[in-house]
Amino acid sequence: MTLEMTTRIQPSTGAPARSVRIVDVAKNYGATRAVSGINFDLAPGEFVTLLGPSGCGKSTTLNMIAGLDLPTEGKIIIGDRDVTTVKPSDRDIAMVFQSYALYPHLTVFENIGFPLRAKRRRLADADVQQKVMVAAGSLGLEKLLHRYPREVSGGQRQRVALGRAMVRTPALYLLDEPLSNLDQQLRVQMRSELKDLHIRLGATMLYVTHDQSEAMTLSDRIVVMSNGRIEQVGTPKELYHQPTNLFVAQFLGDPGMNIFVGELDDGRLQSIGVDLFAPPRIGSLASGISAGIRPEDLVVADPETARLKGTVRTVEFLGSRALLRADIGDTLVTAFLPAQLEFAPDQSIGLNPSSDDRVRWFDAQTGKAFDSQWLQPAM
Amino acid sequence: MKSVRRLALISFSLLATIVALGPIIWAVSTSMKATNQIFAVPPRLFPTEATIEHYRRLVAEGVHWNFLNSAIYTFSAVAIAVTLGALAGYALVRFEVPGKRLLLLVFMGAMAVPSFAVLLPTQIMFSQAGLFDTRLTLPILYAAHIVPFAVWMTRAQFASLPRELEQAALIDGYSRWEAVWKVLLPGARPALIAAAAFGFLYSWNDYITATTMVETPQLRTLPVALIFFQGFHGRDWGALMAGVIIATLPPVLMFLLFRRYLIGGFSEGSVKG
Repeated sequence: MTLEMTTRIQPSTGAPARSVRIVDVAKNYGATRAVSGINFDLAPGEFVTLLGPSGCGKSTTLNMIAGLDLPTEGKIIIGDRDVTTVKPSDRDIAMVFQSYALYPHLTVFENIGFPLRAKRRRLADADVQQKVMVAAGSLGLEKLLHRYPREVSGGQRQRVALGRAMVRTPALYLLDEPLSNLDQQLRVQMRSELKDLHIRLGATMLYVTHDQSEAMTLSDRIVVMSNGRIEQVGTPKELYHQPTNLFVAQFLGDPGMNIFVGELDDGRLQSIGVDLFAPPRIGSLASGISAGIRPEDLVVADPETARLKGTVRTVEFLGSRALLRADIGDTLVTAFLPAQLEFAPDQSIGLNPSSDDRVRWFDAQTGKAFDSQWLQPAM
Repeated sequence: MKSVRRLALISFSLLATIVALGPIIWAVSTSMKATNQIFAVPPRLFPTEATIEHYRRLVAEGVHWNFLNSAIYTFSAVAIAVTLGALAGYALVRFEVPGKRLLLLVFMGAMAVPSFAVLLPTQIMFSQAGLFDTRLTLPILYAAHIVPFAVWMTRAQFASLPRELEQAALIDGYSRWEAVWKVLLPGARPALIAAAAFGFLYSWNDYITATTMVETPQLRTLPVALIFFQGFHGRDWGALMAGVIIATLPPVLMFLLFRRYLIGGFSEGSVKG
């Protein structure tokens, strides 16, 4: 089915996928600075996600790109056109809202066809019919076309919202937490359908979510935001393995990176239960220092000689592996361990990093990571 | 025990129905009785011979023109008031209007003041403005009375409609006007119809304002015209009842037509709750 649909969707007359550039965008609400210093871009056909906790400014950023909100500073460029102050209707974008925002008085067919009925397009009825059928067909909505939004399920509403976006092949798709109202199972299913859709349409898509697993699985690149600023931009792998700061290190991953804080003494980070060798040059750069280790980069070691020593709190059996929680000093550490290992609560345990290069070092003051050459804090 | 309760309930419902419908049935019956049968003893619920002579008389007296006056005044007042009210209601929801809360309080206050309490000052003002006893007098006054109600009704409804609906329409290629027209107004239909229904009933049934502000017989509304059938030499009950029936029909029809909308439940399903 997928292949057939691809050939049917591609020839549509809409605009080709465009690049997008966000340049130094900032937004104030009164005296409050909601977002600032927003710089990123999307290549044509790229899937980029704005990821961050709620209130980090990702929806504000999306609304400015949609034209629903005007930036206080900066520029928004779609293709080669500066659209910073252009009306939403003139930006050639489509948006899928978290609430779906389906028109309640229109049927599924009319909802999907709604953008095609706008004055600027005014397609002939036959064209509208044909385009709606193609969009509905590729989303499996053919049998629901005469129903009203209130008469279809949550997942189907989601699809209708997607159909309304793709029916006119816009230059850019904006998706604002489109899966967050679905139950877990449906969310995972829609996630892969969305990925399929992106590949089939070859469209530029900007996705907003607070769910890191959605961001990781869907995105070509992720823009991590917090407190109205961009923390890091990169591919999911880059963000996961080379976080440039403590926020990204702890926000990404489930559970996030374990962070050990302490003073550097004689080239070693030492605190209660912790004794880690720091790379040679770090000592000259910072005294307060943090080491980060991913839960899967810890291995069990002899409690006498291990670099990390503590006591077991809980062990969760996850099937293929087990998730250990242990207290090391006053840090709660998580580690993925082989499922066959048995631990009892309060048992003492030793852990080592699986290798020294799996430890990521951060300046405890600024939260910035030292880059792989250990020469200076990463930008 | 259960059957006793049931019996009581049925008896009560029956009584309530008789109290509510009795006068209407009696009025219909009276309007169709020959004049000499109206006070026949014993009274009969149904006329032995139905007649439309009273209705004919109303037409002969030109009451249909008063009906037309009422209709024109009512429809223009409702149209003006609901349009203004909906625009104001929308603005109060979507825009930063300075003194918004005060405005709303003023509207609320305006609703609380009975219109006859300000009738005399209104009459003086209208006289000075040359608006006393004209074709515009009643539409203006009725509209003024309905607007605050329409503002409150539509404002609440617009506020309950998700903002994303409008934003979606803007992104889908529509102007703000089109978005309001094609997406918001259909969503606000229950409030619009409720405001229109309220305005209709108020304007259509008004007697006191109409009788105070309009003197020319050709400009009179239906309720004012009917009063003249109470006559100096005794009431013309047949014609009066025929007039009452004619005056009652439009509100009843309106309710039957719009019953569906007067009992809301519209926006369900547009967004996930």
